[in-house]
Amino acid sequence: FLAAEDTSSLQYVKFQSSNFENILTWDDGPESIPGTVYSVEYKRYGETEWLAKEGCQRTTQKSCNLTMETSNLTELYYAMVTAFSPGSLLDSKRSDRFSSLQHTTIKPPDVTCIPKVRSIQMLVHPTFTPILAEDGHQLALEEIFHDLFYRSELRVNHTYQMYLEGKQREYEFVGLTPDTEFLGSIKILAPMWSKESAPYVCRVKTLPDRTWA
Amino acid sequence: EFRFGPCRVENVILLELWEAFRAVKDSVQTQDNITSVRLLKPEVLHDVSDAESCYLVHSLLKFYLNTVFKNYHNKRVEFKILKSISTLANNFIVITSKLRPCVKNDMLSIYKSAHRRFLLFKRAFKQLDTEAALTKAFGEVDILLTWMEKFYHY
Repeated sequence: FLAAEDTSSLQYVKFQSSNFENILTWDDGPESIPGTVYSVEYKRYGETEWLAKEGCQRTTQKSCNLTMETSNLTELYYAMVTAFSPGSLLDSKRSDRFSSLQHTTIKPPDVTCIPKVRSIQMLVHPTFTPILAEDGHQLALEEIFHDLFYRSELRVNHTYQMYLEGKQREYEFVGLTPDTEFLGSIKILAPMWSKESAPYVCRVKTLPDRTWA
Repeated sequence: EFRFGPCRVENVILLELWEAFRAVKDSVQTQDNITSVRLLKPEVLHDVSDAESCYLVHSLLKFYLNTVFKNYHNKRVEFKILKSISTLANNFIVITSKLRPCVKNDMLSIYKSAHRRFLLFKRAFKQLDTEAALTKAFGEVDILLTWMEKFYHY
């Protein structure tokens, strides 16, 4: 008795999403044939018709950017990949139900670290997404995740760290020793959506104290 | 705190509801292969006024309690799904017990508007085979929670 082998030439059809940039990816299967090409379709959950994604038809690529097609935050989506070998349809596979709001991961923030004599200032720059508001402006992460906040840390030495957190974008660690190196980091959190970015890290040295020089 | 128009609901942690559902979301949604039907469609939840929201959330949560979760319990499902359902159900009971939809005459048109939305959802549910409808409704709890989050004040 032969175990049922997976004769598909297509597998792992899924969305990879980061800061609302939604990329569909897939892999060729164990039985893939040289010369296989792929076509992508997508639709909104609840609709009947599948729409062909222009630019991802009969492609040899194994990814397709569906950011614009899946940019409505209140909608959920499906995508489908079909594999063709010369002259015949090999296989079709569908993604799981996708919601960018639930699935996207958050990249580390863009931060400027400013050393002073006895303090270090960390300025977080807003992260804009491809999502457009009704008035056409690009939505920042803060406008999408209502509970979003920042957590900043300054490592003074192996045993001593300082923490500051909040919804504001400016943080200043004060009372530091001049002319000393510190390791600063800031990450973004949106607890309701179980999202936490990797930290942005900066190594920075306070300025020498020249007041009595 | 939830503020559904005039209705206030305190001491319900929305994150707990999300975590309960996320634990089973993929396995439940994978069982729903009817991708061309959405019960909580945009016409049910889009542009719901504050005044309507209390009526609508009350009807939806009552339906989930009395129809979806109740019948799901009779299905042979994994323990983790039952655990998720009990957390969601307990919180839905707390929410509905604290909602006091106003019944005054001048609110009749708003009540009717909310009820029309609810009937859209209920009709779509009834049009499906019972098993499929239960799975689909449970798989759409994320859509419900995403809508409820708009009325949640941190």
